Amino acid sequence: MRKCLQRTGFVARAMIAGTLLVAVSSGVNAQQPSNAEIKIDNFIFGPATLTVAAGTTVTWINRDDIPHKVASTDEVFKSKALDTDDKFSYTFSKAGTYPYFCSLHPKMTGKVVVQ
Amino acid sequence: MNDGFLETGATRSTDLVLLLEIAMGVGLLIGAVFARKRRFRLHAWCQSIIVVLNLAVVVLVMVPSFHVNVLPKIPVKLGKAYYALAAAHAALGSVAEIGALYILLAAGTKILPPKFRLTEYKVWMRSILVLWWIGLLLGLATYGRWYVHR
Repeated sequence: MRKCLQRTGFVARAMIAGTLLVAVSSGVNAQQPSNAEIKIDNFIFGPATLTVAAGTTVTWINRDDIPHKVASTDEVFKSKALDTDDKFSYTFSKAGTYPYFCSLHPKMTGKVVVQ
Repeated sequence: MNDGFLETGATRSTDLVLLLEIAMGVGLLIGAVFARKRRFRLHAWCQSIIVVLNLAVVVLVMVPSFHVNVLPKIPVKLGKAYYALAAAHAALGSVAEIGALYILLAAGTKILPPKFRLTEYKVWMRSILVLWWIGLLLGLATYGRWYVHR
């Protein structure tokens, strides 16, 4: 009976420790900076809507054969003219929706949703 | 959001400038026809208004755009067609506009001292008109390269 209780206690402690370990490690993962990419090609941002976690750095890459400029509609971020294969990055620290467009070709629009 | 109206990727002001420049190019040809018909007063008014209007468009729209979007990239990226076209259009367009202003001053005013006045008006006017149109065609090519989907 005593052995059985000891075994039960050991199992319970192991489960708690395991749970804590998982919780801690998942917490560490959530805080790790992550990256996402948006390609610019043929006058289109792809994906047009990107959903990321707060703290994510989003990089726009111009794969088109003409310059483009990434500009937030709310003036949160703005790139210089990006030539072919040029990149522009911005880290989204706050949750929210960030619509943006190409200031050279305003019909080109996209959106980053930060959760 | 400042979308253009010509169904290309351009902004509204860029589309407007394109149409205005084409109209001015055609207007200069009509002005040349006035001269051929010996209606010199009408010719002078027509060419003068266009040259001054173009100066305003260049100063207010083209120079700021060139300064922000093209100038920082040259001469390093002149190998790229879109910068080469824009630079050639700017260079030739500037020569044509300055030449046209000079003709206006020489022919229409007495500001210039006699030694700076022109004698061969026809040659100068025709040369500037040809330069103007080459600049205009380069401008159309620049618009096509920067704003039209392929």
